[in-house]
Amino acid sequence: MLRSQRTEALYALLFLAPFLIHLGIFFVFAFVRTVGFSFTDATLIGQSSRFVGFSNFVELFREPRFLAALTHSISFMLVVTTLQTFLALALAAVLNQRLRGITFFRTVYYIPSVLSSAAVTVIAIWFFQKTGFLNTFIGYIGSVAPVLLAFGGLFALAQAVQVGWERWRGVPVPWLDPALATISLVVALALTWGLVGLGVVRPLEARPPEFTWLTNPDRFLGIPIPLWSIVILNTFTTIPTLMLIFLAGLQDIPKSLYEAASIDGATPLQQFFSVTVPMLRPVTFLVITLSLIGTLQMFDQVALMGDAAPLDSIIVLAYYVYNNVFSGEGQVGLASAAALILAGLTFAIVLLQRALGVSEKAH
Amino acid sequence: MATQAIRPVRKLDERHLARQRWARAGWVYGAMLALAVFFIGPFYVAFLGSLKDNPLEWPFRYSFAQTQPKNWAAAWRLGQLGAGNPWTGGFAPGAEIPFQISYFLEEGQEPEPPTVTVPTRRAGAGLGAIFDEVQAAQYAQVSEVQEVNRRPAVVGGRPGQIVTYAFTIRYPKGDATANQPTVPRLPLDVEAPRGQQYYAATLDPNRLERRGRVASWDSVTPGFFGYVFRNYVRVFNEARDPNTGASFFLRWTANSFFVSLAVVLTTLLFASLGGYALARMYLPGKNYLFAFIVFSMTVPSQATFISNYLVLRDLGLLGSLWGMIVWSAVGAGAVFIMKQFFESIPREIEEAALMDGATPVTTFFRIILPMAAPALGALTILTFQGMWNEFFKAAVVLSGQQASYTLPLGLSFFRSAYGVAGDWGLMLASAFLSMIPIIILFVVFQRYFVEGVSTSALKG
Repeated sequence: MLRSQRTEALYALLFLAPFLIHLGIFFVFAFVRTVGFSFTDATLIGQSSRFVGFSNFVELFREPRFLAALTHSISFMLVVTTLQTFLALALAAVLNQRLRGITFFRTVYYIPSVLSSAAVTVIAIWFFQKTGFLNTFIGYIGSVAPVLLAFGGLFALAQAVQVGWERWRGVPVPWLDPALATISLVVALALTWGLVGLGVVRPLEARPPEFTWLTNPDRFLGIPIPLWSIVILNTFTTIPTLMLIFLAGLQDIPKSLYEAASIDGATPLQQFFSVTVPMLRPVTFLVITLSLIGTLQMFDQVALMGDAAPLDSIIVLAYYVYNNVFSGEGQVGLASAAALILAGLTFAIVLLQRALGVSEKAH
Repeated sequence: MATQAIRPVRKLDERHLARQRWARAGWVYGAMLALAVFFIGPFYVAFLGSLKDNPLEWPFRYSFAQTQPKNWAAAWRLGQLGAGNPWTGGFAPGAEIPFQISYFLEEGQEPEPPTVTVPTRRAGAGLGAIFDEVQAAQYAQVSEVQEVNRRPAVVGGRPGQIVTYAFTIRYPKGDATANQPTVPRLPLDVEAPRGQQYYAATLDPNRLERRGRVASWDSVTPGFFGYVFRNYVRVFNEARDPNTGASFFLRWTANSFFVSLAVVLTTLLFASLGGYALARMYLPGKNYLFAFIVFSMTVPSQATFISNYLVLRDLGLLGSLWGMIVWSAVGAGAVFIMKQFFESIPREIEEAALMDGATPVTTFFRIILPMAAPALGALTILTFQGMWNEFFKAAVVLSGQQASYTLPLGLSFFRSAYGVAGDWGLMLASAFLSMIPIIILFVVFQRYFVEGVSTSALKG
């Protein structure tokens, strides 16, 4: 028995050999070496290097660019994770329906996530140009705002009149009754069209856009505007993936829970908050962790932006490391120290999630 | 089909409820369509931009010269007249191209024929400008410009007349000994005297300058692709290796395919071997090893790439596609997926095989691997997509060696080479071209993509 176990263990090692060798060279050795470099003043071209203790770490916290990268990374992570989680959950809740053709829509929504970050970022840079589509679109919405407002007001009015009428007749219709809303939609469309035709409501004149996204020196909520562009881009491309994870989680929630809740008289909104949200907690944890790690390690978008935006306004930790190695004489020591800080942050998030996740299960 | 309204509504009758259900389904479909527009719309407008002569034009137009069937037909016909090539056009000896252009003149202005020239114009900015191209100006002969038509018209509220002029561009055929190449493009500038405004032409021009007095064409014999997908054709033609003259974009596409396919092969083999050993075989400390593998997946690649760069440099693999393949040969994530899969299949089959005295190696290749076909399929798709889109490793290994770039790095190179000149047509076109294989893969195997993400994430 022991002998056969030993043979099996040998076979297991043989099977694992290619992977383990690869992991050994490209992960274990590499990581240990990075730790080693972080305590030296090694450069990419220099042959010799000497031990400098913790001075790389000290120097990092004195360097304005590193501090900018650190703040950007952390604020980017928090903002994008918040946006992504809420939007992905909302979308998944909308998509969690038994409708014909739903798979088609899911496939379509997933497209932004499968395309390469390079291609999507190139398109995004075009989008964020001064006369790019984003500004064009915002300008368009701004110019037709009077029409949109008129339409919204008319819709609300039509709906209120109809619901009021039905309730007066003694039919208990909800405020957002879909059938009545369809009628309100048609009525509001017709009336708005009429008002525009009569010239009572008219769109404002569109002006050439002046707002710049990628070269803007301003900040919003303490985050540079160019970095906000990457926030928008990253949220847009990652929502579909997270949405699909939420969807899979939603479909695992037993239907009986909703039935019980509705018998107790819970409205759909109450059902969402007292059934869906608690039942989804493990999935939400997973999504948040994935999103935190993914956003903290974001590299591609910044690297591809290149000189389209000033580096100091978009630099993040991952790009700081790369940039220090491959520019100038290649400050490997300093870059390694920064890389370890990035790894340490990631690790702290994972540990935090584990700790919270365990207590979650205990309840 | 419609969502079920389980909520007991006391006083609504059955007919009312049915009406509500149908209307709700309608609103849900409306919301889904709106979301689809939100996710696909940006790509659609960017695609329109990639067809334009100036993608950054303001205001943004949804309908322009390249989207009009009238120009498609004209471009096709002119391409055929120019070089017998309706797709990509050209200008060959013996060609004879009749052309018409109309101008609007306000009342009281005397029409005067415009000046027609075939200019010497280099192809685009950036890399394209390096190469000396045969210029049509050397061979083209423009006939005298003649007025053919004059009719009264009101344009923009101003009364006046529209005057049409005609001319012919010829490529006279010399004797058999003459060296007469087929020229790829026939650029044209038509300049009208002051007061005349461009109104229409056989083929709409690529640019209008000086308030519609100067109309210029990159080629009046473009062919269908050469006109509608002008920027796409330029991606292949203009960006070429300064040393060999080979098209960069084709090279990068081949490189991307090579790297992705090679990594798919190594990953399939090594990850299924490793995943099987972790799932089924006896190995002391296996659980610790597995925990370590999971841990390794959370460590950012920025924390390991410096050493990997140096290792590949010592192996002489920097700037080479093999460097990328070696670095990506097998990933912890792939081993993880295969382990999960092997744990989900019944044990009895392999045990029976092992009873018969087969070695683990034979059992694995004869029995286990064929059973793993669905998981291998999913892994193939995920790995291929991952490598096709891989940017960071390419940026580390291949930097500086343009001939061995993969597509994502190539796009980044285009962005820096053409971004300064603002040549957005070419950049957008190359981005769309680089997506085609992934889109095809996605449309064919969408099940793997969509299910792979959700299930593998939830199991982890």
